[in-house]
Amino acid sequence: MSTELPTRSISVLIAALGGEGGGVMADWLVEAATQCGLPVQATSIPGVAQRTGATTYYLEIFPARRDTLGGREPVMSLTPNPGNVDIMISSEFMEAGRAMQNGYVSPDRTTLIASTHRIYSTGEKMQMGDGRFDSAKVYEAARQLARRAVLFDMREIAQANGTVINAVLFGAMAGSGALPLPRAACEAAIRSGGRGAEASLRGFAAGFDLASAAAKPAPATPDKPVLDVLALGEARLVDYQGPAYAKLYRERMQPFLGLDARLAEETGRHLALWMSFEDIIRVADLKTRAARFARVRKESRAGDNEPLVIVDYLKPGIEEFASLLPPALGRRLVDWAEKSGRMHAYNIGMHVRTTTVLGYLMVRSLAWLKPWRPHTYRYHVEQQHIDAWLGRIREAARRDTALALEIAECATLIKGYSDTHRRGMANFLALMDALVDNPATADPREQAAAIARARQAALADPEGKALSSTLGTPLANGKPVFWLAKSP
Amino acid sequence: MERSFKEEVEKLKLGDGEVFHGEGILAVTKALLQSGVAYVGGYQGAPVSHMMDVLNDARDIMDELGIHIETNASEAGAAAMLSASINYPVRGCVTFKSIVGTNVASDALSNLASAGVKGGAVIVLGEDYGEGASIIQERSHAFAMKSQMWLLDPRPNLPKIVDSVEKAFQLSEASNTPVLLELRIRACHVQGSFATRNNRAAPVSRRHVLENPDFDYSRICLPPATYAQEKHKIEVRWPAAVKFIRDHRLNETFAGDADDVGIICQGGMYNVTIRSLQQLGLADAFGKSRVPIYCMNVTYPMIPEEVSGFCEGKRAVLVVEEGQPAYIEDAVHAILRRADNTSTKIYGKTGDNDHAGAMQADTRVLPLAGEYTGETVLAGMAQFVARSAPKGVDAAGALKTFEALVAPKKRALELLGGPVPARPPGFCVGCPERPVFSAMKLVERELGAYHVSADIGCHTFSTLPPFNIGNTVLGYGLGMASNSAVNTMFGKRTVTIMGDGGFWHNGLTSGIANTVFNKDDGILVIMKNGYSSATGTQELPSSPQHSDHKSDDMGIERTLTGLGVGWMKTVDNYKVGEVAKTLSEAMTSDYKGLKVIIAESECQLEKQRKLRPVNAGKLASGERLVRVKYGVDEDTCTGDHSCIRLSGCPTLTVKDNPDPLRRDPVATVIDGCVGCGLCGENAHAAVLCPSFYRAEVVQNPTGWDRFIARVRSAITGFFMPTEAARS
Repeated sequence: MSTELPTRSISVLIAALGGEGGGVMADWLVEAATQCGLPVQATSIPGVAQRTGATTYYLEIFPARRDTLGGREPVMSLTPNPGNVDIMISSEFMEAGRAMQNGYVSPDRTTLIASTHRIYSTGEKMQMGDGRFDSAKVYEAARQLARRAVLFDMREIAQANGTVINAVLFGAMAGSGALPLPRAACEAAIRSGGRGAEASLRGFAAGFDLASAAAKPAPATPDKPVLDVLALGEARLVDYQGPAYAKLYRERMQPFLGLDARLAEETGRHLALWMSFEDIIRVADLKTRAARFARVRKESRAGDNEPLVIVDYLKPGIEEFASLLPPALGRRLVDWAEKSGRMHAYNIGMHVRTTTVLGYLMVRSLAWLKPWRPHTYRYHVEQQHIDAWLGRIREAARRDTALALEIAECATLIKGYSDTHRRGMANFLALMDALVDNPATADPREQAAAIARARQAALADPEGKALSSTLGTPLANGKPVFWLAKSP
Repeated sequence: MERSFKEEVEKLKLGDGEVFHGEGILAVTKALLQSGVAYVGGYQGAPVSHMMDVLNDARDIMDELGIHIETNASEAGAAAMLSASINYPVRGCVTFKSIVGTNVASDALSNLASAGVKGGAVIVLGEDYGEGASIIQERSHAFAMKSQMWLLDPRPNLPKIVDSVEKAFQLSEASNTPVLLELRIRACHVQGSFATRNNRAAPVSRRHVLENPDFDYSRICLPPATYAQEKHKIEVRWPAAVKFIRDHRLNETFAGDADDVGIICQGGMYNVTIRSLQQLGLADAFGKSRVPIYCMNVTYPMIPEEVSGFCEGKRAVLVVEEGQPAYIEDAVHAILRRADNTSTKIYGKTGDNDHAGAMQADTRVLPLAGEYTGETVLAGMAQFVARSAPKGVDAAGALKTFEALVAPKKRALELLGGPVPARPPGFCVGCPERPVFSAMKLVERELGAYHVSADIGCHTFSTLPPFNIGNTVLGYGLGMASNSAVNTMFGKRTVTIMGDGGFWHNGLTSGIANTVFNKDDGILVIMKNGYSSATGTQELPSSPQHSDHKSDDMGIERTLTGLGVGWMKTVDNYKVGEVAKTLSEAMTSDYKGLKVIIAESECQLEKQRKLRPVNAGKLASGERLVRVKYGVDEDTCTGDHSCIRLSGCPTLTVKDNPDPLRRDPVATVIDGCVGCGLCGENAHAAVLCPSFYRAEVVQNPTGWDRFIARVRSAITGFFMPTEAARS
């Protein structure tokens, strides 16, 4: 072995998702290294990246000019090895987690450069509740495992500079000092890429500055402010229906105020949400507010001088119509629709242009039905369920706070619209029936644990397979089982 | 096509004394031109698509050199094309992905190998094995063995790969045998450089044509010639190949000082072997290893004298052979047995049998199956060094070094508390195939679950979450054929999926024609997106537009009508409700016989590629342009995510709930939405929720646009509640 020559290559592993320019970044590195006269090798498995999957690009750069090697060629690997990665680049935060999981970040060697933004995987986002992986764990792992971690939201920086995230990552890599290439060579490589070079150079500079400033990893999650749930709940219900309804909320909360603080908070939170159930009047109201139009304008990145047309996808049917009728009428209509299987037979698919005069007035006029709400079938049904639920919590609180809390949390099962709402409600009722009203155990802690399990099961799959197996089949005595598929 | 190869085409023109910088598979392409190839064919597929793509973009160079380029109908077609080299002294090359392509090609390959070749015939195999592979995991090695074709597996650096192409042609001609050149996926995509030579025009080509056809009965695959051919393979061609390989030193031996042990590796495994030695402190940066290495750039046939000679005097030898069965390792055992070498212990993926016949597990240091990644070989190498104790080497230190190297991996798993979410590939943003599967989900809700025979293509992603649609996948274009028995076992009709790529590959004959012929009752959904999208949006006979050198107007509909398909409906994919209705109709129709639903909508990748410059031009020139983006109202979304379970679009995702009282994340549409409209259509078709909206942003608005917007804003503003505008 020659003493004056480096003993090994600098290895760079880039983890990216499709469309983020990971391949272009690898090209920049190859170009910059080649211009500096350094032997370089890059490889990739791009097959899956182009179709939205996670993929990697792997490079090795020998940190000595080729003309000093006396004709010898460094042997470079085509795959990264654990304990052998000098620079780990992750264009998304969970990919940094994956890199560590695969052993590509080591404390004695690896500079980890990762963007902290999340692009959720299908598995995370399709859950009925919150299926997101905890980013704080990735932060902590990065803090412990990387020789140096450069972590910031590079997507944001890219957007602010009108470029793609690869430019910011490349800049951060150069700025971190871990790359054996001078800044000028990196910038020249970007320039030689041609189109979009100016924007890329802006992104590169921003990334370079942030990384060379030795930024500390940002805290995982900002501390959540302590909420005044009661005040929020009251304000919500004033907005929803009026002061009288907010007063009803306060009255309902009265028995809980002296009890366990967490129980009161959770009950108050769920109660406020449940009482502001999303009926057609509420939806119409929310869709026709000035703040909503401003938000859509912002989300669709419409300029001040660009007119915006909003088309709303509404498909009301028997259920929505019945919900507005007086209780007796509404119940009969719903019963008939359920029995005859015509719940969705008469839905009218509408594309309402809410920004036009007629479209706006059509939707707004539904919001004007607010004073009628307390006389509707839906209102009647929801209040009955709410009172029964509150009764169960109060009852349980006398026995055990933890049990009461579990029952309170079950309100989280009720959400959505139409079939989703009915499925959630049916799950909720089945759970109440099997585990609260007719528990198999007299031990409140056991009962609480069973409720928690069933709640998780109800959120495990929309078909209700996990729930029915948790509760034991056949499901609760004769109640309609909406979540099972209809036979043809 | 997905990519333009203008820049790469220029690299094909490089001559003597110049340096090529680029990708492995393009280096192979350049090497073909330097080798005086007369014709090239293939079938697209990762990792070798680029070879065909760049040649198709290099028509002028091909014309100049007189090289015939053909995009074959299938891998079988490609292999059959090599017949030009049977009778005539012309060099030909075809390429496809392996193992699947080799499977499809095997009929033609057997015939080709039996007849033997006069001109060099080379098959470049893109080994789609291991990480990122999209196909079943098998070895190409078996094909070489059963047909006696030679298999090259060169060290994965550009000069070696390029040299192997030239050597492959020479070997083929010296032994009258087709040669397989195997390149792993990372080798195909490796970026490197090599010194180029001038391109060579073939002596016989479409510019220098043949005059007289050659007839030689011994080259016909029919008895009795086939009997003679088999003997010729063994008695003449094989020894000729062994002599060529030995004389030209195609395999390499690297000396080392710890020579009481050694390593035998496939050429393609050389770099990963060296890396593991480097990490254990047994090799330097330039590959100088303390342990001697015999590197097999030709993995079939093996050269017994070279193997036994390398092993002679060694106590232990490690065989690094990726894939199973362990053909090479088993052959090493046999070679040493025949050479009467009983003193060399062979380490690798199998164990020695001791005298009682029990497996000696201590020689098994590598896994039998699966990709030999850096970590796998590193682990195996550490074990080999520890167990074989090469002279002058700290054997126990190897294991300690290895443990230290992988310690952070173990620590990471503890810190992360479990594996991070997987991120498999999926449908692109706005993909027209996604809505068809949304519709299939809805039909399932109405009519109950039904069996789906899936096929190969982007549409195979339907088997992944959130759809999980598709019960079997049997091979490219074979969806319909794979459905023919299972279809009869259900009271309810089953559904077959086929892409337009699979349709032309063989689905038309093996599936559709046969179903009609047998009067089978079935439902076929043809995903007509216009291209071979999964492999890089190459043209198909039914593509909406064609290059000049391709024929126009080969419609799928007319083909089906010609076959006598009596029930055929074309649907617009994005109209989810209509697609679901049509599928329900097919499921419940009284019509007995094949029912074909053509789900027609252009591949979004291609559509956007064409649309983007047009829109940019309009924007720049001040022309009115409406940009569409979908969105979710965060205050009416309740966070159930039904919409995501029915779509899976990358831009339909979740974000923190802005409502302080809610915990579950709300759905949101992020930048990148191409406005395909699926989320809105799903909300309608499945009666999901009222939260979806379409935002139409009028860019470069006309005076009328601005006027009407002002009027609308004034009137609606009058009715808009002011006190409610709080958030």
